[in-house]
Amino acid sequence: MSAKSCELRTVMVMNFSGQSHEVAISVRDLVVDYKQLRAVNKISFDVKQGQVTVVIGPNGAGKTSTMEVCSGVRTATSGKISVLGLDPQKDRSKLNSQIGVMLQDGGVYPSARVFEVAQHYCNLYGNRTTATELLDAVDLNRQRKTSWRRLSGGEKQRLSLALALAAKPRVAFLDEPTSGVDIFGRDLIRGIVRRLADDGCAVIMATHELDEAQRVADHVLMFQDGNLLANAPLAELRGSAGVNQTLEDIFRDLSNNSAVSKSRDTQ
Amino acid sequence: MKIFRSQLRQELTVMARNGEQLLLLVVIPIMLLIFFAQTDFLPTNSENKIDFLMPGILGLAVMSTAMVSLGIATGFERSYGVLKRLGTTPLGTRRLILAKVVAICVIEIAQLVLLIFVGQLLGWNPSRVNLAQVLVLLLIGTSCFAGIGLTLAGRLRAEINLAAQNGLYLVLLLLGGIFASNDELPKTLGDVAQVLPSSLLSSLLRNSFNNNELVITDAIALGGWALSACALAVISFKWSD
Repeated sequence: MSAKSCELRTVMVMNFSGQSHEVAISVRDLVVDYKQLRAVNKISFDVKQGQVTVVIGPNGAGKTSTMEVCSGVRTATSGKISVLGLDPQKDRSKLNSQIGVMLQDGGVYPSARVFEVAQHYCNLYGNRTTATELLDAVDLNRQRKTSWRRLSGGEKQRLSLALALAAKPRVAFLDEPTSGVDIFGRDLIRGIVRRLADDGCAVIMATHELDEAQRVADHVLMFQDGNLLANAPLAELRGSAGVNQTLEDIFRDLSNNSAVSKSRDTQ
Repeated sequence: MKIFRSQLRQELTVMARNGEQLLLLVVIPIMLLIFFAQTDFLPTNSENKIDFLMPGILGLAVMSTAMVSLGIATGFERSYGVLKRLGTTPLGTRRLILAKVVAICVIEIAQLVLLIFVGQLLGWNPSRVNLAQVLVLLLIGTSCFAGIGLTLAGRLRAEINLAAQNGLYLVLLLLGGIFASNDELPKTLGDVAQVLPSSLLSSLLRNSFNNNELVITDAIALGGWALSACALAVISFKWSD
């Protein structure tokens, strides 16, 4: 185990130093408020092309709010956001043809059938790929005629991911792509995510499953209560924490530290 | 154009699969038409019964498609996150709305053809009809009811929206001067009914079919409803819950 993760680390470090990754998303001082509640509290980070950036943290930490602001679905309360050099609100029509978005809940009409939806999304992006190709990639070609309502949780997630791929995106926003997915589906999704990044796409993916994050991340954004606990390459995070430390251990440590410093502040 | 066509196809397929809508869109208007044409419940004299009924039923058909059917479908699309997700694609608001408008028109044409056919079987034969005027009125009526339906759909939770659309449909049907003139209602209720869009549309259509007349004030009032309902929908619509 430790030998393997050592090896993984070396590969990643080389990857970081060997290639220069352009910034695809730049976020500065982002604040998102819902009425009385502050969901995201003045955070800043970059997401780079050709990397998988994983957003982790417990429920309600601000992951989805941040992703939605970046993909243009939600308006920020304040802050400066740029995606591929564009403003996600003002330049939405320009940006939409270059990004693929997988929302937390599928966003497909229950009576719509698998092939039909895939075909529709291909059409929306000007047929950069075919529906058959998309469904092959997520192993859903046998369910072509099944309606969304009759798909299992894992199949829904796979179709939803496929729809985001129809864009042949330069930036992919994936909100919990593996939740409710079985072990084979996870492998498949992880493979797709890796390939996307290897092809130069900037992948930003939210999850609260830390094991998942650990397997696929190049870079980690750790959220808690709307703040960023960590913003670092996975290899660096794990390097500083010791080889045997899992992301879960690291998260607990950082979370405890922040709680301690917070209570010190208030005293 | 390809994007628009794809969205239109999607709209029509989804609507066609909602079998329960068929009841509202086709079965109810036809049943009402046959029932009241063949019985003597209506206070109008039997000679021009069908002439009185038919224009109102056509207005009712428009209301069921543009308001209830569109409103309910859009409400559910909003709650399922369909609109939110489409908002991240190159589709764009304008093409989405246009696809919905064209889809409603396609369904309305089918409804009207069917209803007119049944009407003819029941002996309907309007002699002094102004067809261009009828079409314009149907279009204004469509935008008015679509505006109302989308205003509700853009704010309410899907299930509440479903109930609200059906409830409003019933109110506008009963106070719509469709089966009897609003003069038959108690005075105050009649006065309120007079200015409701369903009443305005049915009486305007009746005049166009039977007398080749246009009551300008009513037409302006209906236009006013259409403008304000659409404006309200645009201002208040929320793309996701």
